[in-house]
Amino acid sequence: MKGTRRLLAAHTALVYLFLYAPIAILVVFSFNASRQTAFWSGFTLDWYRQLFANPLLFRAVRNSLVVAGATTFIAVLLGTPAALALARHEFRGKRATQALLYLPVIIPEVVLGAALVTFFGAAGLRLSIATVVIAHVVFSVSYVAIVVRARLAGLDPALEEAARDLGAGPFETFRRVTLPLAAPGILASALLVFTLSIDDYVITSFVAGVGATTLPLHIYSMLKVGVTPEVNAVSTLLLAGTIVLIVIAHYLLGKDLLAKGPS
Amino acid sequence: MKKSFLLLAAIFFLVSCGVRMEPKIEMETSSKVLNVYIWTNYLPREVVDEFQRRTGIAVNVDTYDSNEAVLEKLQSGVADYDLVVPSDYMLKVLIPQGLVRPLDRARLPHFKNLDPRFLDQKFDPGNGHSIPYLWGTTGIGYNKKVGTVDSWRVLFDPKYSGRILMLDDPREAFGAALKLMGRSINERDPGVLRQAAEMLKRQKPLVRTYNSSDFANLLAAGDVDLAHGYNGELAEVVANAPDRLAYAVPKEGGTLWIDNLSIPKGARNLDSAYVFLDYLMEPEVAAKIVNGVHYAGANQAALPLIDAKIRQDPSIYPSKEVLDRCELIEDLGKTTQLIDELWTEVKAR
Repeated sequence: MKGTRRLLAAHTALVYLFLYAPIAILVVFSFNASRQTAFWSGFTLDWYRQLFANPLLFRAVRNSLVVAGATTFIAVLLGTPAALALARHEFRGKRATQALLYLPVIIPEVVLGAALVTFFGAAGLRLSIATVVIAHVVFSVSYVAIVVRARLAGLDPALEEAARDLGAGPFETFRRVTLPLAAPGILASALLVFTLSIDDYVITSFVAGVGATTLPLHIYSMLKVGVTPEVNAVSTLLLAGTIVLIVIAHYLLGKDLLAKGPS
Repeated sequence: MKKSFLLLAAIFFLVSCGVRMEPKIEMETSSKVLNVYIWTNYLPREVVDEFQRRTGIAVNVDTYDSNEAVLEKLQSGVADYDLVVPSDYMLKVLIPQGLVRPLDRARLPHFKNLDPRFLDQKFDPGNGHSIPYLWGTTGIGYNKKVGTVDSWRVLFDPKYSGRILMLDDPREAFGAALKLMGRSINERDPGVLRQAAEMLKRQKPLVRTYNSSDFANLLAAGDVDLAHGYNGELAEVVANAPDRLAYAVPKEGGTLWIDNLSIPKGARNLDSAYVFLDYLMEPEVAAKIVNGVHYAGANQAALPLIDAKIRQDPSIYPSKEVLDRCELIEDLGKTTQLIDELWTEVKAR
């Protein structure tokens, strides 16, 4: 029994090492004094200093934040009502609606990117930061709908019925009962979508236009001259931001989603 | 009912977002802007700043990491770029598809400053659609402990077994073998190509790894002593460890690549694009670019103004004799398939 447990612990440790060692090395080497990513030759903050002096990089960060912010806002606005409809109402074509809603999550990113750029071309919509937002909303809405719906499914419909019995109209019920109860799910989905949007490379690379270079696009183009510590430094910052958001999302989702497993 | 209304409202909001974007771009067209789509580290900040000061034209610079990105954007028909920088082989794709505009030479008086060696190449005869900008070579990065390298022969020498890295690229690998055989990189004779494949098969046990993306770092890390690779990345690691590492274009010659300035068909700021193109060909500006990016430039008049350290660095500017033996990779048409098959044989063994 004890031996098995020790074996399990060792196995777990190895899996975690496998998952996180490359990331740890990347973070460590962002403080490496040598330009080479292969040797350690002393601690420095130079790469971070260089980053902050780089206007192109700053524009990329700003673009990423604008895109992720706008995407989150629109996706929540579109996805929440969809989740509500699917969780609370029966209507013709519900199954089809549901399947179609989940499709963008399943479709390979390359296909979605190529399809979107073809669509923008046919529609005559010039590629810009707006097309990036539209593209991100396409896949984000599905995530919002899935997460919010899971939250709603765990709520007791009796609470809403009680509100109606007590004389609240449909809108008041929504505003004072359904919305506050669904809020943690909405917030969690917003954070999830924000991180997905800020990390996206494939779809963005297809639909980005003038002045719309986002942080992942910029990092990728920096790689042309090899992995420099500057790339490590940006990646570390991106990683730190993402981790913070994911921790918050997990905290908010904690009691609901994780306990029940993926839905 | 309410919810479908909400959904509709949200869709309208989304659509209006897209619509609102249109007039904004129209507005920018009437004021003076220029949208440049270029490789990373290809346009020093000060060159852009000076242009903005001098002309009042605002320059937006977006960067890309592959020629295919340029192709994708131009094919979409809705990208607003006014200047792109495709490599030689990509122009062979862009020009026949009409994705780049013919250039009006009368608007480019500084064209005369360019080195004739890089003009009138097969990918764009007469430079009707492109202007050579920066160029480089494929050669060998090496650890000085192996001695001085000046020939492709070292990559096939059993003495260095397990210490050799080859580019994971059929045209480059065959190029090295063909050059050593005294043949052209663009050889089409199936018999000669089969001989080259035999050489590569015999070489395979000596090769530590085939790698096209991380070759410079593997050399710097000491994982290999001889790395077949592009000069830009190798020059970077050599500059950081000049006592230990070096780069050479073999005396048999290597691959030459040229990146070129072109105006996309759909460019909306044509006047600005021409002003900028001509500005980039001014000797002082062209020299500033080379000094800033450490790639060789195609501007002859700029040469005396380039830092001696760069101008005299044979890994950036190889000697005339070596350069004369370097060749551009050409599209081989049907032969490409044979090379791919032979390469698969080499890699599969």
